[in-house]
Amino acid sequence: MTSHDYATDVLVSTEWVDEHRGDTDTIRIVESDEDVLLYATGHVPEAVKIDWINDLQDQTVRDYIDQQRFAELCGRHGIDHDTMVVFYGDQNNWWACYAFWVFKLHGHEKCRIMDGGRGKWRAEGRAMSTETPRYAPREYVAQPADPAIRAFRQDVAGHIRQAAPLLDVRSPGEYTGELLHMPDYPQEGALRGGHIPGAVNVPWATAVNDDGTFRSREELTQIYQVQQGLDPADDVIAYCRIGERSSHTWFVLKYLLGFEHVRNYDGSWTEWGNLVGAPIEQGAPKPAAV
Amino acid sequence: MNDRLQDIIDTFRSVDEELRLELLLDYSRRLPALPDRLRAQRDAGLNRVPECMTPVFLFVERDGADSDHVRLFIDVADEAPTVRGMLGIIVAAYDGARAGEIGDLPADLVNRLGLGGAIRMNRLVGLSAILQRIRNEAVAAVTA
Repeated sequence: MTSHDYATDVLVSTEWVDEHRGDTDTIRIVESDEDVLLYATGHVPEAVKIDWINDLQDQTVRDYIDQQRFAELCGRHGIDHDTMVVFYGDQNNWWACYAFWVFKLHGHEKCRIMDGGRGKWRAEGRAMSTETPRYAPREYVAQPADPAIRAFRQDVAGHIRQAAPLLDVRSPGEYTGELLHMPDYPQEGALRGGHIPGAVNVPWATAVNDDGTFRSREELTQIYQVQQGLDPADDVIAYCRIGERSSHTWFVLKYLLGFEHVRNYDGSWTEWGNLVGAPIEQGAPKPAAV
Repeated sequence: MNDRLQDIIDTFRSVDEELRLELLLDYSRRLPALPDRLRAQRDAGLNRVPECMTPVFLFVERDGADSDHVRLFIDVADEAPTVRGMLGIIVAAYDGARAGEIGDLPADLVNRLGLGGAIRMNRLVGLSAILQRIRNEAVAAVTA
């Protein structure tokens, strides 16, 4: 039993989703995967697919989709302002958290993550379908982007000056500078290896159990607050390589541990590692501040 | 590159991106199951491609003594359909081919198929490592 009795305002169990998946008037289930074909091989029957590259990013400006395109995306999936959107996906909900973050960036109020994601749903032998459901389009009135959850490079520079908490959620090898990309993943374009000065390293997957569910609040408190000395009142900036893994950690800190001011630096290492004039550090983590 | 691969590339190039992804999904479904005799080896963890985070098992065999043709047997998890699809294409194009042909397997296959936009680099976990391994093992199989 891994269902949690905490964060019930954002986490739903696979069992809950199974019970409520028919409520398509008020709930929209969204699958977001790393693998672009995975949804087509079978998904929660009522789920629609939102793709992290093709739906959420605007490559022409290296940014997220704007307010208008977000409204169109929601509208065509039958999502309106009041719809509860439940995200799940592959890789321990890594991409589901990324989609969740983009929805929050655009001010969507009712967002949930299905704890355990696609892996748990499948492992439990729950219903899957290859049919793509269609929902009647709805009018979505998008809000201006919420700057409180997004950090830009000037915010990061400010954090370095103030010695404010920076959390690097990449693998240890990427953090020390030994690797320029994730182990087993191809190179993705950073000229320098290392980390942002002063950042501590907690790889994102530290926050999940073997079955893909989030660790208990006690365990998460131990990892982020006791071991790393972070405080829920701290102004924390999390980053990774392109801002996807750090959206997972952002979710953990903000919603599971109740940190007030946590931002995702989506420019992340592909920006900072290439930025002219930006300082970096290499080597092992410094002992956590006490 | 051989004629079979050229035909596949031409087919992909003749349709739009959405249909290309459908075709890729077809290849992922059509990747032949591993023969029974190789399953025990896979289950024992042999022949796993170590560069790949997705479990991929590769068996390259000489197609009979003194033959310069090789057979390709590849096993990929169902939950990695993009990798399955790419390897399904390689098996469709090169299973039974001469080892020398496999040596010409293009490294930029994803772009040649017109999939470079839909499939970003980090979705093809370790694919280039697998391609390199297939080339090397095909040559090794016929010179053993």
